[in-house]
Amino acid sequence: MSTILEQKCPCCGGAVEFNTGAQRLKCPYCDTEFDITAMPEDTSNQVEQINWNSQGAQWGTGETDGMSVYACNSCGGEIVADTTTGATTCPYCGNQVVMKGQFSGALKPDLVIPFKLDKKAAKEALKKHISTKKFVPKSFLTDNRLEEIKGVYVPHWLFTCDAIGNANYKAKKVKKWSDENYEYTETSYFDVYRSGNIGFDNVPVDGSTKMPDDLMESVEPFDLSQAVDFNTAYLAGYLADKYDVTAEESMPRANERIRQSIIDSFRETVKGYDEVENQGANMNVANGIYKYALYPVWILNTKWNGENFTFAMNGQTGKFVGNIPTDKKAVTKASLLLGAGIGAVIYGLMWLIELL
Amino acid sequence: MTKKIFAIVIAALVCVSFVFSASAYTQQYVIDYADKLSSSEIEELDLFAEKIEAVYGITVLFCITEGTGDVTVDEFAAQTYGDYTDNENGIIIVHDDWNKEYSTFAWGNAEEILTDAAVGSMINAYDSNDRYYGGIYACYELAEEYLENGYSGGYVYDGEPLNNGTDIIGASEEKDGVSIIWLPVSLGIGLLIGFLIINGIASKNKSVKMQENATVYTRPGSMVITGSADNFLYNNVERREKPKQTESKNN
Repeated sequence: MSTILEQKCPCCGGAVEFNTGAQRLKCPYCDTEFDITAMPEDTSNQVEQINWNSQGAQWGTGETDGMSVYACNSCGGEIVADTTTGATTCPYCGNQVVMKGQFSGALKPDLVIPFKLDKKAAKEALKKHISTKKFVPKSFLTDNRLEEIKGVYVPHWLFTCDAIGNANYKAKKVKKWSDENYEYTETSYFDVYRSGNIGFDNVPVDGSTKMPDDLMESVEPFDLSQAVDFNTAYLAGYLADKYDVTAEESMPRANERIRQSIIDSFRETVKGYDEVENQGANMNVANGIYKYALYPVWILNTKWNGENFTFAMNGQTGKFVGNIPTDKKAVTKASLLLGAGIGAVIYGLMWLIELL
Repeated sequence: MTKKIFAIVIAALVCVSFVFSASAYTQQYVIDYADKLSSSEIEELDLFAEKIEAVYGITVLFCITEGTGDVTVDEFAAQTYGDYTDNENGIIIVHDDWNKEYSTFAWGNAEEILTDAAVGSMINAYDSNDRYYGGIYACYELAEEYLENGYSGGYVYDGEPLNNGTDIIGASEEKDGVSIIWLPVSLGIGLLIGFLIINGIASKNKSVKMQENATVYTRPGSMVITGSADNFLYNNVERREKPKQTESKNN
């Protein structure tokens, strides 16, 4: 069994949770609030090691691969989680537990952005997100069920560097004129070259394979100025995973985004042309450093017609994303009606112009 | 209070309906200063002239008077035409019954078709028929005949062919309207625009996508351009003949 950490209330011994409104720890049983710094970071000497002898069947060889087993400090219940789970809830007593081994030593995050928005805000954001969209199937609005809502600290790698690059563009200028009999078009082609450097700070890359990369990039950006040094107390009441994608594995994605930024930024300096086409770019990185951070994300799972829909909300800024199904019949009907209306207006205008 | 407002609205509507009914009264084409025609005769002749105007775009006025006052009969004719119509294509025939004089003036297309000889024959028809109703009626019949002949590209009364009969039809400012063939074309364009607009709105239901770049993480003011070159490679000139001026549809 691995050891786990529970943030206990010094007054009543209940499991405390991180309160987004107060940005402090709060005991839900006696309502006592505590500063994060008041809680001991490592309480391993207080944690009771419980070893149970199983009287039933034992795990077979290979059955526990990709799985970790913990014992709840409060009720002794067995918590089975995957190897990346860093914080979860005991399924028996509901206590919030942190697998401290997941965030110790080299695995300790450098930064954490605490949740600013609570579960209620996430639910309201989901309602608003769905209600403001057009052509959503009516049955989705009525039958769509919220299956799960969870606040997750998602591991991210943050890359900071000075990017040195160059980019080539093929540019075109078009000049037109005419005389009595002919129209002339002169097209001039240019090879445009730009080189320079740009600094990037904390370009994030999702460090968890559990979270879809597109979902995590869609809730960006996070305001890293509000990040604080990591403390396990911030995880109380939320789920958390340790990274299972290493920094080295995340670098290609960071490079890809930085490289595209260089192309786009240098492109903005190419002016005076009618068309500009990128021909290629080279990039080197200097002073590259990376950090490990946990970003707060609310994940909401809904079910409709047997299909799962996942939404995500930035737990700091409230940016809400998620794909919603479209009523294709309604889209077709609206397209036909609007098209017919526009067509009638066009024909009417033709008549008007003709009569005038 | 409500009843008063209702009464005012009803009164206003009645007034408006009177105005519209008055304006719906047909224009006067036969002006009888000599009091030679009955009102029913005038109305019948007016309807005939109105039909000619509707079909050919030519106003044919006929005026019977007994004296022209201080002005000559020609001046009187020009003035009367202006008083009764602003159509730029028309003719007026004035019969001064007191002085036994005639005067005619023609404008625009009427001048080309209703030539002096044609107008002469119309006056002869007027003289040789039972004055006044019968004469004016015969005069209008001839006018209709000449105009139909002229517009169909045939010969006018005095035997000289028009340069181009259809030319005059175009100049009569009759509008053919927009061909029905443009209706499906308009609908097609409308459907395309409608499809693009609606699908643009529906596409907003998808909000999950990978970020294209990391521009939002650029360190402010950190971009430095160290090398820049804009090298001309080559150019080419295309020459295209201007489309010929399309001949007017009237030709």
